[in-house]
Amino acid sequence: MRGGSVNMRNKTIILAAMVGLALSLGSCAEVQRAAEGAARQSGNPRLANVIHGTGSVVSSLLPIGYEEESSIGQAIALQVIARYGGTVDQPELLRYVNLVGRAVANTSDRPDIAYRFAILEDNSINAFAAPAGYIFVTRGLLRQVHNEAELAAVLGHEIAHVSQKHILDVIQRSKRLAGVTEAGMAYANANPAAFKSIIDGAVKKLLDEGLDQDKETEADALGDEFAARVGYDAAAYLTLLGRLRELKGDDRAFFKTHPNFSSRIQAVQQTIQAKNLKATGLLLPDRFGKYAKKV
Amino acid sequence: MGRSSRILWMVTSLAIGLVCSATAAFAETMYVQAKTAQLRAGKTSLDAVVASVKFGDSLEVVGRDGAWVEVKTSVGARGWIYNNKLSSTKPSGSSDALAKLGQSMRGGDASATTASAGARGLDKASEGYANRTGISPKDREAVDRMTSYQIPDQEVEDFLREGGLGEYAK
Repeated sequence: MRGGSVNMRNKTIILAAMVGLALSLGSCAEVQRAAEGAARQSGNPRLANVIHGTGSVVSSLLPIGYEEESSIGQAIALQVIARYGGTVDQPELLRYVNLVGRAVANTSDRPDIAYRFAILEDNSINAFAAPAGYIFVTRGLLRQVHNEAELAAVLGHEIAHVSQKHILDVIQRSKRLAGVTEAGMAYANANPAAFKSIIDGAVKKLLDEGLDQDKETEADALGDEFAARVGYDAAAYLTLLGRLRELKGDDRAFFKTHPNFSSRIQAVQQTIQAKNLKATGLLLPDRFGKYAKKV
Repeated sequence: MGRSSRILWMVTSLAIGLVCSATAAFAETMYVQAKTAQLRAGKTSLDAVVASVKFGDSLEVVGRDGAWVEVKTSVGARGWIYNNKLSSTKPSGSSDALAKLGQSMRGGDASATTASAGARGLDKASEGYANRTGISPKDREAVDRMTSYQIPDQEVEDFLREGGLGEYAK
């Protein structure tokens, strides 16, 4: 018993030292390999296995890095485009949407990644964000927008999903549920079936079920703030949400993934007040009309 | 040096030390919360650019006037920056230390995680995903085009100026 408790204490000390060293040095793979090797050499294969397993668990608990995020973003983007009839080929309109999006993204909470915006060839009303800055709006949604400030807020909402890594949270949970501990691109390349099932799960959540309400509320608040930082009228988003709430018939399919509009409008009103976001009057309907009239 | 002048010297040094440390303690630091930003010689977007700063840079606040903040960079450059590009807390962004640590533990190359625009083509994992799910060549091409779509920062700046947005507000 005594030997066992010392052994346990040794394990704890070694593990604590390993994690501590890893966190302070950042060269975790080397530290982990060294600790694992030392345990094996000292004739303790069980401890070596514990160190090996702990490394994987610690690794899977850490946030997803940009390289992996980028692959996930591309894979989800493939599904979004496939399911929504491809992308609109109108270079001037596409450039305009990208300029508004980039203007908002550049002063967002995560301005240091590449954002790209595409228009989906679909008449339903919707918008989506995949990780690593792949953002989509449907032709149908653009038809509901009346000015540049409203478009900026819609794109701001999607940028906020990316900056807050909302889909990555879903992916992280799916990976844990699927028992994937060897995270990163190594697992995606070595086990494409697991990668597919994780992406399919995220796509289902994004396109069919919708993200959780608290994530939508957070994206509303942050998105409107991002647009207001650029100088767009913060009240424009309320006007758009109010217009969408009144939609009838087939257009209401949108509410399947974006429910509880009244509470969202109320939450945006509270954000505008709490953060003192300005109704600058800057709506730019003419510039929007110039590019979006053929939507 | 007599005893009294030594005491005077010590008191003066102490006073200078206290004033300096008090100044340092009260100096306000802010961080660049934008991809890039310019420091200008004056408080308008028409004033000349005196320095460029980037996301996450720390700046010492020297003064304020309306929507403009006068700052000093770590290398001593001084100028005015529009307040929508500043944050009082240090932004983490995608260079999050934990994410980098995760990358290195997974055996990935941390230096390859730098977010670069304009990478061309689907990567190996998403290409494999496209094959497994039967995504059409047309849709792959659409994601490929989207990935490589770029607009230079200067054109975004011109777009802001034209619309009277950001620091170009009228």
